[in-house]
Amino acid sequence: MIGESVKMTPAVLLLLALGISLIVGLYARARKGEYYLGTGHSIGRMGIGAAIASNWMSAASFLGIAGVFYLQGYFALAYVIGWTGGYVLLLILMASQIRRFGRYTAPDFVEARYESTAARVLSAVITILISLVYCIAQYKGIGLVFGWIFGIDYTYALLLGAVVALSYILFAGYLGATRNQQLHYAMLIVSFLVPLMFVAYKLGYFWPLPQLGYGQALQDLSLGNMREYVSPWTFGTPFEWIALCFTLMVGTAGLPHVLSRFYTVPNPRDARWSVLWGLFFIGLLYWSAPAYGAFARAWEARHTLAADGDDVTALADIIVLKAGEWAGIPEWLVAVLAVGAILAAFSTITGLLVSGAGAFSYDIYYRLINPKADDRQRMAVARGTTLVLAMLVLIGALNPPGLIAQITAVAFALAGNTLFPLFLLGIWWDRTNKFGAIAGMITGMCITAASLLPGHILPGFNALFPPTSSALIGAPIVIVVMIVVSLLTPAPSLKIRRFLAEQVHKY
Amino acid sequence: MIPDEPQRPSEDFRVNFFRPRSDYMRRKVHTIWGLLAAWALLTFGFQGLLVLSAEEVSGDGPLTRISLLGIPFHHWFTGQFLILCFILLCYIFNTRVDRLTRTQPKRK
Repeated sequence: MIGESVKMTPAVLLLLALGISLIVGLYARARKGEYYLGTGHSIGRMGIGAAIASNWMSAASFLGIAGVFYLQGYFALAYVIGWTGGYVLLLILMASQIRRFGRYTAPDFVEARYESTAARVLSAVITILISLVYCIAQYKGIGLVFGWIFGIDYTYALLLGAVVALSYILFAGYLGATRNQQLHYAMLIVSFLVPLMFVAYKLGYFWPLPQLGYGQALQDLSLGNMREYVSPWTFGTPFEWIALCFTLMVGTAGLPHVLSRFYTVPNPRDARWSVLWGLFFIGLLYWSAPAYGAFARAWEARHTLAADGDDVTALADIIVLKAGEWAGIPEWLVAVLAVGAILAAFSTITGLLVSGAGAFSYDIYYRLINPKADDRQRMAVARGTTLVLAMLVLIGALNPPGLIAQITAVAFALAGNTLFPLFLLGIWWDRTNKFGAIAGMITGMCITAASLLPGHILPGFNALFPPTSSALIGAPIVIVVMIVVSLLTPAPSLKIRRFLAEQVHKY
Repeated sequence: MIPDEPQRPSEDFRVNFFRPRSDYMRRKVHTIWGLLAAWALLTFGFQGLLVLSAEEVSGDGPLTRISLLGIPFHHWFTGQFLILCFILLCYIFNTRVDRLTRTQPKRK
């Protein structure tokens, strides 16, 4: 399926890109004091927005969406809408309140709001689980792209990619390099959009705005013999569409590494406006991603290559690269796409593994197991956890259970079923207490876990709670559980309620 | 209700999305309600409309036959226009909250 020889251009380009981001990172570190203490104003809201976007864009955005669109047409737009519309929820319900609350990791918030170490530990476990699932999807993307670059089988490519990723993370961490988020965003978006324009041009569609040009490709498909592909409910029922879309939206608003972004924002007002910029920058990619899928379909239709079943599924997650190759754009441009995908995946796993390891070493090891641990011990535990997590992810990615976007969606379902209700009620209802929070988290974890079981164990359950979309019904259930349990148990302390009323909701 | 800390009678720390207490919060919650309604209607309402107007099981109907800017209408609305709407909703929210905050008297 994949060429046998090493492709030199992408390999060299990859080394170059990793080198550049390392050097820029070191430069940023050298001026760190100035960079951070001068705070947001020097970067501006637009810059923070770019940071939000670069933090967000992973292999799921870069490879995943085009892949699902190629496979499932209109159904894939549930991913596009879920991952953008979630920011509206985040902004209007949470952003400035979380900024005022002043706690930036999920466990930090949970302990401060619910005044319970047990709740904190539970939310740390959830954070780690979300990181693991999310990382599996990234590893799959890395494995596929490395396989494409070096012409080797998925398993070997995955091992190679994992080794490169881990050494890059540890090396960058050892040097103390920080990532320049704005540069990172610029690199990602350019490496995604420019090749897309070339693909549109080569296939004879409107290339200056391929986001509109792919409409013609869809039109051609619908007039040809692929009308079903363009129809709305060919690949999923309206219920499935809405359940998936809703799940991704609430998951976005509850995702730990999205929430902790507000840490660098100087004040609540800037937090609000930077979300708008972030959404715009993310939108640039999401307007465009389906185009790769549509162009790939259009090319197949022209060459009467209507691939079926397993072939299509195997192609889907690297359809971005395939679309480039099929359309016949220069090899170095396809290489740019491949490197962009790897950069997106690398930066995402860096963030996730670091926050996962932090959650373990601080929230679980230090707070629960060994409260006497000093900084050095905690660092050692964090490093060890990073390695353990990376190994677990690798095992999970050897036989990826689905498409990149689907695996990622499961992480969102977990976040939507647990952390979203926790933040929502924690901010908007002072009466929510630790008992409600703990009961809610356990219910949410059970619902997500049950949705992953094979269908025959709980008949009918999967129809209402699809694995990728369990939060449409799950999140409301968790909210009800939290409310009922909170009302049956004593109210939280006056101190935290006062803080909520006077600080978090102040104008 | 809270035995361990004395509650001063004049103070009320209740926070409830459905029962906003201060004038500022009431206005803000009204804005949020309006935007949430718009968000849900645009996202899920349009899918409902597609279902209602469908003439075939696959969902084809008048809304999928017409096209806008060369894109089949349902793809244009969901894949292109909705994202724009989301950005617009964020813009409306931010300008309204900015205005609300400006008109409030400064408080310690």
